[in-house]
Amino acid sequence: MRVVVDLELCEGNTKCMEAAPEVFQVRDDDKSHLLIERPPESMRERVKKAARICPRQAIKLIED
Amino acid sequence: MATTQTTNQELSLDTLDIISDEHYQRNGYPHREWAYLRRHAPVFWYDRPNVDPFWAITKHADIISISTRPRVFLNGPRLLIFPKQPGEGPPAGPDPFRHLLNMDPPEHGQYRGLINTRFTPRSVRKLEPEIDQIAKRVLDDVTSHVMNKVAARGECDFVIDVSSKVPLAVIAELIGAPREDWDNLFKWTNETIGGSDPEFQQGASTGETLDRARMAMFQYFAELVSRRQKEPKDDLTSVIANAKLDGKPLEPFELLSYFFLLVVAGNETTRNATSGGLLAFIENPDQWERLRKNPALMKTAVEEIVRWTTPVIQFARTASEDAEVRGQKIRAGESCGLFYPSGNRDEDVFQDPYRFDIGRDPNPHVAFGIGEHFCLGANLARLELEVIFRQLVKRFEHFELAGQVERLRSSFVGGIKHMPVRFETRRARN
Repeated sequence: MRVVVDLELCEGNTKCMEAAPEVFQVRDDDKSHLLIERPPESMRERVKKAARICPRQAIKLIED
Repeated sequence: MATTQTTNQELSLDTLDIISDEHYQRNGYPHREWAYLRRHAPVFWYDRPNVDPFWAITKHADIISISTRPRVFLNGPRLLIFPKQPGEGPPAGPDPFRHLLNMDPPEHGQYRGLINTRFTPRSVRKLEPEIDQIAKRVLDDVTSHVMNKVAARGECDFVIDVSSKVPLAVIAELIGAPREDWDNLFKWTNETIGGSDPEFQQGASTGETLDRARMAMFQYFAELVSRRQKEPKDDLTSVIANAKLDGKPLEPFELLSYFFLLVVAGNETTRNATSGGLLAFIENPDQWERLRKNPALMKTAVEEIVRWTTPVIQFARTASEDAEVRGQKIRAGESCGLFYPSGNRDEDVFQDPYRFDIGRDPNPHVAFGIGEHFCLGANLARLELEVIFRQLVKRFEHFELAGQVERLRSSFVGGIKHMPVRFETRRARN
């Protein structure tokens, strides 16, 4: 599983960081930066949640 | 906004009304009708003489599913479901403005990108001291004539005296509009949102009222823009006035439309969330007490106020190609009306959806929409509500209705025009 954040869409709403702080970090540029590009299976549910609740729908999960 | 469920008559798919302006003015939100649709016909072809037909979308999941396919379901062709006005012709021609609400990808993203950094949670948070000052000033005015007593009673029209004033001041400050122009901005907003309401028509038709307001705003902002092009400041007007897309300045029509959007969207929505929020507390005094005892609930309270009031009733999406929603085929060219307040009472998503619960968590409401067109001002609206209700809880012991709640004649924005309240201030003020 690979995570992609569309930085054109992202507006720093920080919902992803609340759902999965090990994976997403919103920095001073108001964009969500990936701390891990390929999160382990154990984080799948929380990463999925982050993608689901992102107000701008900027997060995509790509299955390898 | 609470419903008035006075009628016991049987609903039927052939006759139920979710779109006439009068219905909203008289009864508030048609929650009973929406619940019926969610249960019996969640993707319902609404075909009546008073409106161009559309698919009525009432389920939370379907609102999300359509909103998150912005290249299939477009905003441009039909911005919202506009009922035909009795005695007037059908709403004419293309929209007389072009802004974020009726733009689609990729253009929408380009225009949004010009100012969206000003509306992120981080940027908005910096405005808190200023918004706090605005709210304090507005409430000082309301209580000034009674504040020399220890615990005083008074009355006001909460909409006119409080909930309309704060958002107007905030958006006017952001735009950089001088204070002497605020009354005009207020009037134009009322005429734009309440174009089909006789109170704002002053004898004109709906179309004339909308045109009058738009022309006045375009004229006003054309002048403000030209001032900021000569001498930029640190306000939103300067950003938009001097913005470039692909190296070129914005065309005047799109440029002026941008202001039209900011003023209207920035005013009416937060105003109605504030009025509807206070009304919810008046109707649920236990929740008012709960917030007073535990101000740490403010964040979830604000989300619940937004869910409960859901000021924007509907926007439309039009299929650019054949598509499916909940197994129903939507043909290219057909429109869907997304009824956000219905999604926010969806029994499949919210436990006890008709309960106003300021501790509700999670609260995945869709009052701000989701995806491409997610409300640009959502974080600003949240902050304004937080600041206003923090002040209300601090300063007031008690509110009650002192007269009739008057609703806006509109099936687009759930407006409260007038709400007379009686209040009692708290003993210690700060």
